[in-house]
Amino acid sequence: MSGGYRQQPGGAGGETRKDGKRVAGKLRFKPPGAGGSRPVSTPRDLDRIPESVGGNEPQPAGHHVHDRLRTGTIVGLPTALVDANAKVTGQAWYGDDVRLANEVIGRILRSPHHYARIRSIDTSAAEAMPGVVAIATGEDAPKTFGVLPVTKDEHAMAVEKVRHVGDLVACVAAVDEATAMEALGAIVVEYEELDPEFDPRKGLEDVDEPIHWRGKYHVGRTNVQKRVHQAFGDRSNIENAAASSRRAWRFEGVHHGFTEPHAVVAHWDANGRLQLYTPQQVPHYTHRALATVLDVPMHQINVIRTFVGGGFGGKSDPFPHEMCAAILARKCGRPVRITFDREEVYWINRGRHPSYIEVKLDADEDGRVAGLDVDALIDGGAFASFGHVTSYYNGVLATAPYELGSFHYTGARVWTNKPASGAMRGHGAVNTRCAVEVGLDDIAEQLAVDPIDLRLANLLPPHSRTISGFRITSNGMREALRRVREESGWDEKFRNMPLGKGIGIGCGFFISGSGLPIHWDPNRFPHATVHIQVDMDGGVTVHTGAADIGQGSTTAVAQVVSEVLALPLDMIHVRSHESDTSPVDLGSYSSRVTFMNCNAAIRAAMEIRESLLNAAWDMLGYHPSTLVMVDRRIVYKHDPSIGVSYLQALHKAQEDKGALIARGAYRSPPMGGVHKGAAAGLAPAYSFSAYVAEVDVDVETGLVKCTRVWAAHDCGKALNPLAVEGQIIGSCHMGLGQVLSERMVYGRTGHLQNANLLQYQIPSVHEMPHVTPIIVESSDPEGPFGAKEAGEGPLLPILPAVCNAVYDAVGVRPSSLPLTPDVVWTAIQKRMKSERVEDPLELKPPRLTHGPLQEKLAARGGEHQIRDRARQRTEDTSPYVNGVLFGFDPTRPIDEQLEGWAVIDDPDPESMAEMGYAGRAWLKQEQRHMEDGA
Amino acid sequence: MLTPPFILHRPRSVEEACSIAADLASAGRPFDWVAGGTDLLPNYKWHLNPKGDVISLAHVEGADALETNRVGCMARLHDVATSEVVHPLLAAAAAKVASSLIRRSATVGGNLCLDTRCFWYNQSEDWRRSIEWCHKADCGTGADCRVIPNQNTLCVATYQGDMAAAFMALDAEVELVGPEGERRMPLDEFFELDGMKKNVLMPGEFLLCVHLPDDASTRVGAYHKLRVRETWDFPEAGVAASWIPGDATSLRVASTGLESIPGMHTDVVEAHADWTETEGRKRFSKALQKAIKPVNNTALPPRYRRSMVSVLASRALRAITQED
Repeated sequence: MSGGYRQQPGGAGGETRKDGKRVAGKLRFKPPGAGGSRPVSTPRDLDRIPESVGGNEPQPAGHHVHDRLRTGTIVGLPTALVDANAKVTGQAWYGDDVRLANEVIGRILRSPHHYARIRSIDTSAAEAMPGVVAIATGEDAPKTFGVLPVTKDEHAMAVEKVRHVGDLVACVAAVDEATAMEALGAIVVEYEELDPEFDPRKGLEDVDEPIHWRGKYHVGRTNVQKRVHQAFGDRSNIENAAASSRRAWRFEGVHHGFTEPHAVVAHWDANGRLQLYTPQQVPHYTHRALATVLDVPMHQINVIRTFVGGGFGGKSDPFPHEMCAAILARKCGRPVRITFDREEVYWINRGRHPSYIEVKLDADEDGRVAGLDVDALIDGGAFASFGHVTSYYNGVLATAPYELGSFHYTGARVWTNKPASGAMRGHGAVNTRCAVEVGLDDIAEQLAVDPIDLRLANLLPPHSRTISGFRITSNGMREALRRVREESGWDEKFRNMPLGKGIGIGCGFFISGSGLPIHWDPNRFPHATVHIQVDMDGGVTVHTGAADIGQGSTTAVAQVVSEVLALPLDMIHVRSHESDTSPVDLGSYSSRVTFMNCNAAIRAAMEIRESLLNAAWDMLGYHPSTLVMVDRRIVYKHDPSIGVSYLQALHKAQEDKGALIARGAYRSPPMGGVHKGAAAGLAPAYSFSAYVAEVDVDVETGLVKCTRVWAAHDCGKALNPLAVEGQIIGSCHMGLGQVLSERMVYGRTGHLQNANLLQYQIPSVHEMPHVTPIIVESSDPEGPFGAKEAGEGPLLPILPAVCNAVYDAVGVRPSSLPLTPDVVWTAIQKRMKSERVEDPLELKPPRLTHGPLQEKLAARGGEHQIRDRARQRTEDTSPYVNGVLFGFDPTRPIDEQLEGWAVIDDPDPESMAEMGYAGRAWLKQEQRHMEDGA
Repeated sequence: MLTPPFILHRPRSVEEACSIAADLASAGRPFDWVAGGTDLLPNYKWHLNPKGDVISLAHVEGADALETNRVGCMARLHDVATSEVVHPLLAAAAAKVASSLIRRSATVGGNLCLDTRCFWYNQSEDWRRSIEWCHKADCGTGADCRVIPNQNTLCVATYQGDMAAAFMALDAEVELVGPEGERRMPLDEFFELDGMKKNVLMPGEFLLCVHLPDDASTRVGAYHKLRVRETWDFPEAGVAASWIPGDATSLRVASTGLESIPGMHTDVVEAHADWTETEGRKRFSKALQKAIKPVNNTALPPRYRRSMVSVLASRALRAITQED
């Protein structure tokens, strides 16, 4: 090996001719082991090689199919994000950082009315202004688009009607912003005002002018956009309920509050192709929508995802301003840049739905959850956005982690004349989860049992099915509960602290990647594809469409490739910005990226690995099964001194074909039931979490301060513990905002009163508790190295944990969020009145004396712990479905075993309407049935 | 969002400031004074009554004085909060204003002359156009008040400065200067009950400094502020109290963040000579609550804010009596 390594074999020093000239093709390369940040190859770190393949890394949750790919390089190592340097040095280019030569500035004319018909738009005066280069209105792009193919109800700019204050009416491109603003003022629009609707409850009534019209599928003449119903289980279980909790909640709308406002640059290049720069979570949807709206084939559009200054779901729709920029740029032939004011960010919204949610929980005398009924009316605002999915998620994501005797869900989403709601971190699951977990706390109180023991005795085990047919694989719920109980000192503190100090528990359950790619059949096209290219220099270029929105997806993809190929992270270069070079990918939503893209990346890396091992086989004569990848070397398993360097093997592998190119794809396995809406909430894996929060409540003012949080999240396997902890802490912050102070305030006139970051109260560093992140690793059998999501699920439990802690502190359970001081104070006043207490300081905090059920539940929890461990480690592979706890045989279909057990597709509107608002949406008929009757 | 263009004047002395003001007035050019700019410039950005000329006090010599009995209008709140010469009550109140970043720019004068706030008013131009404006910034339409409809005589926007209550509790006087000369008055007479007029400043006049009486340093004070977050937020209610320990009649209590101007509650003090006792304190706090009528134009509902007056007052009184 001495003397360096040559591309072609030959004698030492044979690369120069006698006349001193270099022999063609005999390039000198740096010595083996070069490349990357460390000069010398390091031996394998057995502490990061799993026990199943001879290392020292413990695997309490069992071995994993990817174990043999582990090289101990970087998986499980706290790793700074690969784009961190660009961000902290200000070199990251966000939407508004894109400056193209000759650019002009676009501004948008917005509706001053909540709901109005556009009679006419006169742009002539604006067009005549010097410096104005283009003006566009709805007429320029009459085609509709929307994030979901089933609900395309948006236009680039209003066609016929404006539907909320801030709705787009026209746009102007001018030489500078001041001129553009002035031109907006010169556009004359005549409106005919229509009766607006702001209250989602009134959206259930027939009106003259529904906000959208769905033709024969329209529900009566209401503003109901989507209604869903699902019912499973045995209702007889709830007839003799030992405890019952029913609460009607009101959740205010909240916004993502990302740092970077929306911004877009559109440019039609010299060949007439559109180059669109936008901070998007899902560039592919924008790509599709642009093609539709602009009437241009997709291959003539290159969507360039800039760095994204925070998304959280708020940058995952294709947006009308992206269309506006493209239309203006096409008209004027110059690049057009549009950057939003913060107020415009709130007007485009897509935040969490304001919701009325009613949850009824029934427990039987054994402390089993005999019934869970959910009724969710969600306020969609003016457009559908992701609402179709949200309508389902509000119910179906409550079907785990507990085993249920029956589950009834009714949901409805209505249009109102407000900015559109959409997807936000914890999409659809957050509000209902809060209601369910607070309900369980209430049930535990009634049964006189510890709420953690109640949960531990009702968990679905690993490798089971939920009542609605979701396939649970790995499940770290029990471990998460155990850890937070221990680390928080729960048993000493719960119901034991003085007035004003409280502790509460909350759990969470979330999808790790939506099982259904919205735009295509999962059997016909993969969810995610990753390309890897390794050229002569040894650097690995990874092409993926995964959109890094700050969550670290680029780092995760780089990490898994680095792990499989045993290369330092700085030899892996992820290219993910352009649709021209990225394979089609669904982008960053539904917490799918780590699971799906890393799986695809591992598959592609395996192909490269195979080429390298085969080359090493050629060179060393040892079969690949006896070779191991170590840091930039491939060595013989039983004698590491025998081996070749990575570059040697690479160049050998490249001999006949040049650069190595590989491709990997991920598609989800077939799963789920056949009932209506069965696909909603399906995921290849689910994350679980349990938080304990401690609060201080000022009983005189109602101010709640969250002081400590112990946050356990089951992410399967922490590929990058630093990023997982960051996500947990960040989720706590975001969830605390929703539970304590954030809300979109719609005033008396229907206007959004706080469209700015002063009055939209995101918690500051002072409000941030000390968070102890606890990572639980349940090693998901299908996840990349066992990993599942960690970006959204960790948000869920903080809301109910804080609500339950407030109850522990002062004995009140307000059922509306956020818990601003006035809300808590009002609840305290109410309690004082009912208990005839004059001074709030004389109130008694709740106390717990265990009832007879406590022991029974603890024993059941103990038994289940043994059951779960065996199932998690696949020592027990017998089937398990929701219902076994209620006495069913999991090997036979449940509906054969009991008459009452049913999957109800055909709802009874009358009984549904009794439950809550959403049920009333079912009292109306769709137009097609009305015509039948007429 | 673009700040409307304006001409910035930067006088070096009080005299120069006054003469610029006089010149602009005689030329019929409306103008604003600016100190730290943390209130005025965001408002300009939202096109809230912007003017074509702005006179900065930042370079006026001596305007940033920070002494025990005299605080200049340009004294930065951060300096007040960390000063060892000013009264601890002023330092405590200053430390509760906005955020550390803003306190570095924001000034005592600017805080005392803070524009009143209202969620129908502190909005962008597009937003206000869509409600067809309001009384405070009616853009020539004569628009009605949006908080209390059918009254457009008085603006009920809320005064949310923190410093005023603390200064009033210490019996401060303000020194105003203008083309007509200078004058001095107690701070509680400086404010004028109207969210638009706000104070007695005459055209061309500005607040130069605040004077504290000699015995101010013998006073023990406390300021309690209600807000959702411990930073950034304006007071939803604030109560400052001070007394010369041992002399119950020396009590001074002022409130802020509740009405169009900060309130000085001499009547309530006079009616409750027994405020140092527990029961007296309770009665005092309730009486103070009754004396204040907030309206619905800030983040928290007025009924709640009003109820909090008694809690804040009770805590402030407890705080100042506990020290002796």
